[in-house]
Amino acid sequence: MKSLFKTFYTYIAKTIFVVSFFMFVFFGTLLFSEVFILNNIAGVSENQTTQNVTQNTRVDTTSAGLDVKVAPGEILPISIKLSNFGGGKKVDVTITYGIFNEKGVQIYTTTETIAVETTANFVKTIQIPFGTAPGKYIAKASIVYQGQVVPATTQFPFTVEQKILGLFQSDFILYGGITLLVSILVSLIALAFTKRRRTRSTPLDYSDIPHDERVFFELLSDTIMEMRQRVGDSALQIARKIDGLVIDEKSGRILKLTGKPSKIIAELVSGYEQAIGKKVSFSFRK
Amino acid sequence: MKKTILFVEDEEIILKVYADELRDEGFLVITAKNGKEGVDMALSSHPDLILLDLLMPVMDGMTALKKIREDAWGQKVPVIILTNLSATKEQLVEDMITHKPMHYLIKSDWKLHDVVKKIEEILDKSDTN
Repeated sequence: MKSLFKTFYTYIAKTIFVVSFFMFVFFGTLLFSEVFILNNIAGVSENQTTQNVTQNTRVDTTSAGLDVKVAPGEILPISIKLSNFGGGKKVDVTITYGIFNEKGVQIYTTTETIAVETTANFVKTIQIPFGTAPGKYIAKASIVYQGQVVPATTQFPFTVEQKILGLFQSDFILYGGITLLVSILVSLIALAFTKRRRTRSTPLDYSDIPHDERVFFELLSDTIMEMRQRVGDSALQIARKIDGLVIDEKSGRILKLTGKPSKIIAELVSGYEQAIGKKVSFSFRK
Repeated sequence: MKKTILFVEDEEIILKVYADELRDEGFLVITAKNGKEGVDMALSSHPDLILLDLLMPVMDGMTALKKIREDAWGQKVPVIILTNLSATKEQLVEDMITHKPMHYLIKSDWKLHDVVKKIEEILDKSDTN
Protein backbone atom coordinates (compact mmCIF):
# COMPACT_ATOMS: atom_id res chain seq x y z
CA MET A 1 0.00 0.00 0.00
CA LYS A 2 2.78 2.27 0.96
CA SER A 3 4.50 1.40 -2.32
CA LEU A 4 1.36 2.17 -4.32
CA PHE A 5 1.04 5.47 -2.53
CA LYS A 6 4.61 6.32 -3.36
CA THR A 7 4.16 5.40 -7.04
CA PHE A 8 1.12 7.64 -7.23
CA TYR A 9 2.96 10.58 -5.82
CA THR A 10 5.99 9.88 -7.91
CA TYR A 11 3.66 10.35 -10.86
CA ILE A 12 2.50 13.58 -9.38
CA ALA A 13 6.09 14.48 -8.81
CA LYS A 14 6.45 14.43 -12.58
CA THR A 15 4.14 17.39 -12.64
CA ILE A 16 5.34 20.42 -14.33
CA PHE A 17 4.66 23.42 -12.21
CA VAL A 18 4.72 26.49 -14.33
CA VAL A 19 4.00 29.79 -12.79
CA SER A 20 3.89 32.77 -15.04
CA PHE A 21 4.06 36.07 -13.38
CA PHE A 22 2.33 38.69 -15.33
CA MET A 23 2.12 42.33 -14.57
CA PHE A 24 -0.49 44.83 -15.66
CA VAL A 25 1.27 47.89 -14.47
CA PHE A 26 -1.35 50.55 -14.07
CA PHE A 27 -4.62 51.89 -15.30
CA GLY A 28 -4.71 55.09 -17.20
CA THR A 29 -1.12 55.01 -18.39
CA LEU A 30 0.10 55.26 -21.95
CA LEU A 31 -1.39 52.75 -24.32
CA PHE A 32 1.89 51.70 -25.81
CA SER A 33 3.26 51.05 -22.34
CA GLU A 34 0.43 48.63 -21.77
CA VAL A 35 0.97 46.93 -25.08
CA PHE A 36 4.65 46.64 -24.30
CA ILE A 37 3.97 44.95 -21.00
CA LEU A 38 1.36 42.58 -22.38
CA ASN A 39 3.67 41.55 -25.18
CA ASN A 40 6.41 40.82 -22.74
CA ILE A 41 4.07 38.85 -20.56
CA ALA A 42 3.37 36.57 -23.48
CA GLY A 43 7.10 36.21 -23.91
CA VAL A 44 7.53 35.22 -20.32
CA SER A 45 5.01 32.43 -20.64
CA GLU A 46 6.91 30.93 -23.50
CA ASN A 47 10.35 31.38 -22.12
CA GLN A 48 9.99 30.42 -18.53
CA THR A 49 12.24 27.65 -17.42
CA THR A 50 10.28 24.64 -16.36
CA GLN A 51 11.61 21.49 -14.82
CA ASN A 52 9.85 18.28 -14.06
CA VAL A 53 9.19 17.68 -10.43
CA THR A 54 10.94 14.49 -9.60
CA GLN A 55 12.49 13.25 -6.44
CA ASN A 56 15.67 15.15 -7.12
CA THR A 57 14.35 17.98 -9.16
CA ARG A 58 13.32 21.42 -8.04
CA VAL A 59 10.88 23.55 -9.94
CA ASP A 60 12.18 26.99 -10.67
CA THR A 61 10.86 29.61 -13.03
CA THR A 62 12.03 33.10 -13.73
CA SER A 63 10.57 36.20 -15.28
CA ALA A 64 13.10 36.11 -18.12
CA GLY A 65 14.50 39.48 -17.14
CA LEU A 66 11.16 41.24 -17.45
CA ASP A 67 11.21 44.54 -15.65
CA VAL A 68 7.76 44.72 -14.10
CA LYS A 69 6.73 47.90 -12.34
CA VAL A 70 3.87 48.55 -10.00
CA ALA A 71 2.91 51.45 -7.75
CA PRO A 72 2.02 51.07 -4.06
CA GLY A 73 -1.68 50.22 -3.71
CA GLU A 74 -1.92 48.80 -7.22
CA ILE A 75 -2.82 45.27 -8.19
CA LEU A 76 -0.14 42.79 -9.21
CA PRO A 77 -1.81 40.07 -11.28
CA ILE A 78 -0.07 36.71 -11.33
CA SER A 79 -1.02 34.09 -13.85
CA ILE A 80 -0.79 30.58 -12.42
CA LYS A 81 -0.70 27.38 -14.38
CA LEU A 82 -0.62 23.99 -12.68
CA SER A 83 -0.44 20.96 -14.89
CA ASN A 84 -0.04 17.19 -14.92
CA PHE A 85 -1.59 16.74 -11.50
CA GLY A 86 -3.86 14.07 -10.35
CA GLY A 87 -4.06 11.11 -12.63
CA GLY A 88 -7.84 11.30 -12.56
CA LYS A 89 -8.14 12.32 -8.92
CA LYS A 90 -8.31 15.74 -7.39
CA VAL A 91 -5.32 16.88 -5.39
CA ASP A 92 -5.43 19.69 -2.87
CA VAL A 93 -2.60 22.06 -3.66
CA THR A 94 -1.75 24.85 -1.26
CA ILE A 95 -0.14 27.85 -2.87
CA THR A 96 1.71 30.41 -0.80
CA TYR A 97 2.39 33.80 -2.32
CA GLY A 98 4.95 36.10 -0.78
CA ILE A 99 6.55 39.41 -1.56
CA PHE A 100 10.08 40.03 -0.35
CA ASN A 101 12.22 43.13 -0.37
CA GLU A 102 15.83 43.24 -1.48
CA LYS A 103 17.01 42.24 1.98
CA GLY A 104 14.83 39.15 1.87
CA VAL A 105 12.31 40.46 4.38
CA GLN A 106 8.80 39.32 3.63
CA ILE A 107 6.40 42.25 3.43
CA TYR A 108 3.32 40.37 2.32
CA THR A 109 2.08 36.82 2.29
CA THR A 110 -1.12 34.99 1.54
CA THR A 111 -2.08 31.37 1.10
CA GLU A 112 -4.83 29.55 -0.70
CA THR A 113 -5.70 25.97 -1.38
CA ILE A 114 -7.20 24.73 -4.59
CA ALA A 115 -8.22 21.32 -5.83
CA VAL A 116 -6.45 20.40 -9.03
CA GLU A 117 -7.37 17.60 -11.37
CA THR A 118 -4.74 17.39 -14.14
CA THR A 119 -4.43 21.16 -14.82
CA ALA A 120 -5.51 24.49 -13.41
CA ASN A 121 -5.18 27.98 -14.82
CA PHE A 122 -6.11 31.11 -12.98
CA VAL A 123 -4.98 34.64 -12.23
CA LYS A 124 -4.17 35.58 -8.67
CA THR A 125 -4.18 39.27 -7.87
CA ILE A 126 -2.15 40.74 -5.06
CA GLN A 127 -2.56 44.31 -3.94
CA ILE A 128 0.79 45.88 -3.18
CA PRO A 129 0.46 47.50 0.27
CA PHE A 130 0.05 51.28 0.13
CA GLY A 131 3.02 51.96 2.38
CA THR A 132 5.45 49.88 0.33
CA ALA A 133 8.71 51.75 -0.14
CA PRO A 134 9.95 52.17 -3.72
CA GLY A 135 12.57 49.63 -4.69
CA LYS A 136 13.16 46.16 -6.07
CA TYR A 137 11.09 43.25 -4.78
CA ILE A 138 10.68 39.57 -5.44
CA ALA A 139 7.35 37.80 -5.72
CA LYS A 140 7.49 34.14 -4.80
CA ALA A 141 4.94 31.40 -5.15
CA SER A 142 5.36 27.90 -3.77
CA ILE A 143 3.11 24.89 -3.79
CA VAL A 144 2.58 22.19 -1.25
CA TYR A 145 0.51 19.07 -1.75
CA GLN A 146 0.13 15.82 0.00
CA GLY A 147 2.97 13.47 -0.67
CA GLN A 148 5.17 16.12 -2.16
CA VAL A 149 8.72 14.94 -2.54
CA VAL A 150 10.56 18.07 -3.49
CA PRO A 151 9.70 21.74 -2.97
CA ALA A 152 8.29 23.63 -5.93
CA THR A 153 8.88 27.33 -5.88
CA THR A 154 8.96 30.03 -8.49
CA GLN A 155 9.78 33.69 -8.29
CA PHE A 156 10.25 36.82 -10.31
CA PRO A 157 11.54 40.28 -9.61
CA PHE A 158 9.50 43.43 -9.89
CA THR A 159 9.89 47.07 -9.01
CA VAL A 160 7.70 49.24 -6.83
CA GLU A 161 7.73 52.83 -7.97
CA GLN A 162 5.69 55.93 -7.16
CA LYS A 163 3.53 57.53 -9.82
CA ILE A 164 3.35 61.15 -10.88
CA LEU A 165 0.28 62.24 -12.85
CA GLY A 166 -0.51 58.63 -13.68
CA LEU A 167 2.99 57.83 -14.89
CA PHE A 168 5.72 55.96 -13.08
CA GLN A 169 8.35 58.35 -11.75
CA SER A 170 11.05 57.06 -14.10
CA ASP A 171 8.67 57.18 -17.09
CA PHE A 172 7.55 60.64 -16.07
CA ILE A 173 11.17 61.84 -16.02
CA LEU A 174 11.93 60.06 -19.30
CA TYR A 175 8.84 61.22 -21.19
CA GLY A 176 8.97 64.65 -19.55
CA GLY A 177 12.61 65.00 -20.55
CA ILE A 178 11.93 63.91 -24.12
CA THR A 179 8.91 66.24 -24.34
CA LEU A 180 10.95 69.13 -22.95
CA LEU A 181 13.83 68.42 -25.32
CA VAL A 182 11.53 68.16 -28.33
CA SER A 183 9.69 71.34 -27.30
CA ILE A 184 12.97 73.25 -26.97
CA LEU A 185 14.14 71.91 -30.32
CA VAL A 186 10.87 72.78 -32.07
CA SER A 187 10.88 76.25 -30.50
CA LEU A 188 14.45 76.88 -31.64
CA ILE A 189 13.68 75.71 -35.18
CA ALA A 190 10.50 77.81 -35.26
CA LEU A 191 12.42 80.82 -33.94
CA ALA A 192 15.16 80.43 -36.54
CA PHE A 193 12.61 79.91 -39.29
CA THR A 194 10.56 82.93 -38.21
CA LYS A 195 13.67 85.07 -37.95
CA ARG A 196 14.82 84.04 -41.40
CA ARG A 197 11.34 84.58 -42.82
CA ARG A 198 11.01 87.94 -41.11
CA THR A 199 14.40 89.00 -42.41
CA ARG A 200 13.39 88.01 -45.91
CA SER A 201 9.94 89.57 -45.77
CA THR A 202 10.84 92.88 -44.15
CA PRO A 203 11.16 95.57 -46.80
CA LEU A 204 14.67 96.97 -46.98
CA ASP A 205 15.16 100.61 -46.21
CA TYR A 206 16.40 102.90 -48.98
CA SER A 207 15.97 106.25 -47.26
CA ASP A 208 19.61 107.01 -48.05
CA ILE A 209 18.87 106.95 -51.77
CA PRO A 210 17.86 110.28 -53.38
CA HIS A 211 14.09 110.65 -53.56
CA ASP A 212 13.74 110.58 -57.36
CA GLU A 213 15.66 107.29 -57.60
CA ARG A 214 14.28 105.65 -54.46
CA VAL A 215 11.06 104.42 -56.06
CA PHE A 216 13.09 102.23 -58.47
CA PHE A 217 15.21 100.80 -55.67
CA GLU A 218 12.14 100.05 -53.59
CA LEU A 219 10.19 98.49 -56.43
CA LEU A 220 13.11 96.30 -57.49
CA SER A 221 13.95 95.35 -53.93
CA ASP A 222 10.35 94.44 -53.02
CA THR A 223 9.93 92.43 -56.22
CA ILE A 224 13.14 90.47 -55.55
CA MET A 225 12.06 89.89 -51.95
CA GLU A 226 8.63 88.61 -52.96
CA MET A 227 10.08 86.34 -55.61
CA ARG A 228 12.63 85.05 -53.10
CA GLN A 229 9.76 83.95 -50.91
CA ARG A 230 8.21 82.12 -53.84
CA VAL A 231 11.21 80.54 -55.55
CA GLY A 232 13.98 80.83 -52.95
CA ASP A 233 17.50 82.04 -53.60
CA SER A 234 17.21 81.49 -57.34
CA ALA A 235 15.38 84.85 -57.28
CA LEU A 236 18.75 86.40 -56.40
CA GLN A 237 20.50 84.54 -59.20
CA ILE A 238 17.97 85.81 -61.72
CA ALA A 239 18.37 89.36 -60.42
CA ARG A 240 22.18 89.13 -60.63
CA LYS A 241 21.94 88.34 -64.33
CA ILE A 242 20.07 91.55 -65.15
CA ASP A 243 22.31 94.12 -66.84
CA GLY A 244 22.64 97.34 -64.89
CA LEU A 245 21.39 95.83 -61.61
CA VAL A 246 23.87 95.35 -58.79
CA ILE A 247 22.59 93.57 -55.68
CA ASP A 248 24.02 92.21 -52.45
CA GLU A 249 24.42 88.48 -52.99
CA LYS A 250 23.10 87.51 -49.58
CA SER A 251 20.40 90.00 -48.69
CA GLY A 252 19.25 90.92 -52.19
CA ARG A 253 19.64 94.59 -51.32
CA ILE A 254 19.89 96.86 -54.36
CA LEU A 255 23.35 98.39 -54.32
CA LYS A 256 23.50 100.22 -57.60
CA LEU A 257 21.56 100.82 -60.81
CA THR A 258 23.85 101.45 -63.73
CA GLY A 259 21.22 101.21 -66.47
CA LYS A 260 17.82 102.70 -67.19
CA PRO A 261 15.66 101.80 -64.16
CA SER A 262 12.43 101.11 -66.05
CA LYS A 263 14.30 98.80 -68.43
CA ILE A 264 15.89 96.96 -65.50
CA ILE A 265 12.47 96.50 -63.83
CA ALA A 266 10.90 95.26 -67.08
CA GLU A 267 13.76 92.77 -67.60
CA LEU A 268 13.62 91.57 -64.00
CA VAL A 269 9.86 91.01 -64.21
CA SER A 270 10.36 89.22 -67.51
CA GLY A 271 13.09 87.01 -65.95
CA TYR A 272 10.83 86.04 -63.08
CA GLU A 273 7.89 85.33 -65.35
CA GLN A 274 10.05 82.95 -67.35
CA ALA A 275 11.31 81.30 -64.17
CA ILE A 276 7.94 80.70 -62.54
CA GLY A 277 5.80 80.50 -65.67
CA LYS A 278 3.42 83.10 -64.28
CA LYS A 279 2.94 86.79 -64.61
CA VAL A 280 4.28 88.90 -61.77
CA SER A 281 2.29 91.31 -59.64
CA PHE A 282 3.92 94.00 -57.55
CA SER A 283 3.16 96.86 -55.24
CA PHE A 284 4.45 100.36 -54.67
CA ARG A 285 5.32 101.67 -51.27
CA LYS A 286 3.32 104.65 -50.08
CA MET B 1 -20.63 106.07 -44.48
CA LYS B 2 -20.06 103.63 -47.31
CA LYS B 3 -16.83 103.89 -49.25
CA THR B 4 -17.19 104.25 -53.00
CA ILE B 5 -15.20 102.13 -55.39
CA LEU B 6 -15.00 102.80 -59.11
CA PHE B 7 -14.33 99.67 -61.14
CA VAL B 8 -13.22 100.29 -64.70
CA GLU B 9 -13.35 97.04 -66.68
CA ASP B 10 -14.53 96.11 -70.15
CA GLU B 11 -15.23 92.44 -69.43
CA GLU B 12 -18.79 92.33 -68.19
CA ILE B 13 -18.52 89.05 -66.32
CA ILE B 14 -15.53 90.23 -64.30
CA LEU B 15 -17.21 93.57 -63.75
CA LYS B 16 -20.34 91.91 -62.36
CA VAL B 17 -18.56 89.40 -60.17
CA TYR B 18 -16.32 92.03 -58.57
CA ALA B 19 -19.13 94.56 -58.21
CA ASP B 20 -21.38 92.00 -56.49
CA GLU B 21 -18.62 90.91 -54.12
CA LEU B 22 -17.68 94.48 -53.23
CA ARG B 23 -21.33 95.37 -52.62
CA ASP B 24 -21.64 92.32 -50.38
CA GLU B 25 -18.65 93.61 -48.45
CA GLY B 26 -20.46 96.88 -47.86
CA PHE B 27 -18.95 99.12 -50.52
CA LEU B 28 -20.81 101.42 -52.88
CA VAL B 29 -19.73 100.36 -56.36
CA ILE B 30 -19.85 102.39 -59.53
CA THR B 31 -18.66 100.91 -62.81
CA ALA B 32 -17.31 102.00 -66.16
CA LYS B 33 -16.69 99.89 -69.26
CA ASN B 34 -13.75 101.76 -70.76
CA GLY B 35 -11.07 104.27 -69.82
CA LYS B 36 -12.95 107.32 -71.03
CA GLU B 37 -16.06 106.46 -69.04
CA GLY B 38 -13.80 105.71 -66.11
CA VAL B 39 -12.13 109.14 -66.21
CA ASP B 40 -15.51 110.88 -66.42
CA MET B 41 -16.93 108.92 -63.53
CA ALA B 42 -13.82 109.34 -61.42
CA LEU B 43 -13.71 113.09 -61.83
CA SER B 44 -17.45 113.52 -61.27
CA SER B 45 -17.97 111.02 -58.43
CA HIS B 46 -14.62 111.20 -56.62
CA PRO B 47 -14.58 107.57 -55.50
CA ASP B 48 -12.43 106.50 -52.55
CA LEU B 49 -10.56 103.96 -54.69
CA ILE B 50 -10.28 103.03 -58.34
CA LEU B 51 -9.89 99.50 -59.62
CA LEU B 52 -8.54 99.82 -63.14
CA ASP B 53 -8.04 97.43 -66.02
CA LEU B 54 -5.37 98.32 -68.61
CA LEU B 55 -6.49 96.80 -71.89
CA MET B 56 -9.81 98.40 -72.75
CA PRO B 57 -11.52 99.84 -75.84
CA VAL B 58 -11.94 103.59 -76.49
CA MET B 59 -9.28 104.53 -73.91
CA ASP B 60 -6.78 102.19 -72.23
CA GLY B 61 -6.27 102.11 -68.50
CA MET B 62 -2.86 103.78 -68.40
CA THR B 63 -4.11 106.78 -70.43
CA ALA B 64 -7.10 106.99 -68.10
CA LEU B 65 -4.79 106.94 -65.11
CA LYS B 66 -2.70 109.77 -66.60
CA LYS B 67 -5.81 111.88 -67.04
CA ILE B 68 -7.03 111.17 -63.53
CA ARG B 69 -3.62 112.10 -62.09
CA GLU B 70 -3.72 115.41 -63.97
CA ASP B 71 -6.68 116.44 -61.82
CA ALA B 72 -5.94 117.89 -58.37
CA TRP B 73 -8.25 115.39 -56.65
CA GLY B 74 -7.00 112.55 -58.83
CA GLN B 75 -3.39 112.95 -57.78
CA LYS B 76 -4.00 111.25 -54.48
CA VAL B 77 -6.77 108.77 -55.17
CA PRO B 78 -5.56 105.21 -54.56
CA VAL B 79 -5.56 103.10 -57.72
CA ILE B 80 -5.20 99.37 -58.09
CA ILE B 81 -4.37 98.11 -61.54
CA LEU B 82 -6.03 94.77 -62.19
CA THR B 83 -4.89 93.37 -65.49
CA ASN B 84 -3.57 90.37 -67.33
CA LEU B 85 -0.90 92.44 -69.05
CA SER B 86 2.69 91.66 -68.04
CA ALA B 87 4.81 94.55 -66.86
CA THR B 88 7.65 93.56 -69.16
CA LYS B 89 7.51 96.61 -71.40
CA GLU B 90 9.80 99.48 -70.49
CA GLN B 91 7.22 102.13 -71.35
CA LEU B 92 4.56 100.49 -69.18
CA VAL B 93 6.95 100.35 -66.23
CA GLU B 94 7.88 103.98 -66.75
CA ASP B 95 4.22 105.02 -66.87
CA MET B 96 3.52 103.09 -63.71
CA ILE B 97 6.35 104.70 -61.86
CA THR B 98 5.20 108.10 -63.01
CA HIS B 99 1.55 107.64 -62.12
CA LYS B 100 1.99 105.36 -59.12
CA PRO B 101 -0.85 102.93 -58.74
CA MET B 102 -0.70 101.27 -55.30
CA HIS B 103 -0.70 97.76 -56.68
CA TYR B 104 -0.18 96.13 -60.05
CA LEU B 105 -2.11 92.90 -59.77
CA ILE B 106 -2.31 90.14 -62.33
CA LYS B 107 -5.98 89.12 -62.54
CA SER B 108 -5.31 85.43 -63.08
CA ASP B 109 -3.03 85.30 -60.04
CA TRP B 110 -5.30 87.02 -57.58
CA LYS B 111 -8.42 85.65 -56.02
CA LEU B 112 -11.37 87.97 -55.72
CA HIS B 113 -11.30 87.63 -51.95
CA ASP B 114 -7.63 88.69 -51.79
CA VAL B 115 -8.23 91.71 -54.00
CA VAL B 116 -11.05 92.75 -51.69
CA LYS B 117 -8.67 92.39 -48.75
CA LYS B 118 -6.16 94.66 -50.47
CA ILE B 119 -8.90 97.23 -51.04
CA GLU B 120 -9.94 97.06 -47.40
CA GLU B 121 -6.34 97.45 -46.26
CA ILE B 122 -5.87 100.57 -48.38
CA LEU B 123 -9.13 102.16 -47.27
CA ASP B 124 -8.50 101.31 -43.62
CA LYS B 125 -5.08 102.95 -43.86
CA SER B 126 -6.49 106.04 -45.55
CA ASP B 127 -9.03 106.28 -42.70
CA THR B 128 -6.33 106.18 -40.04
CA ASN B 129 -4.27 108.75 -41.93
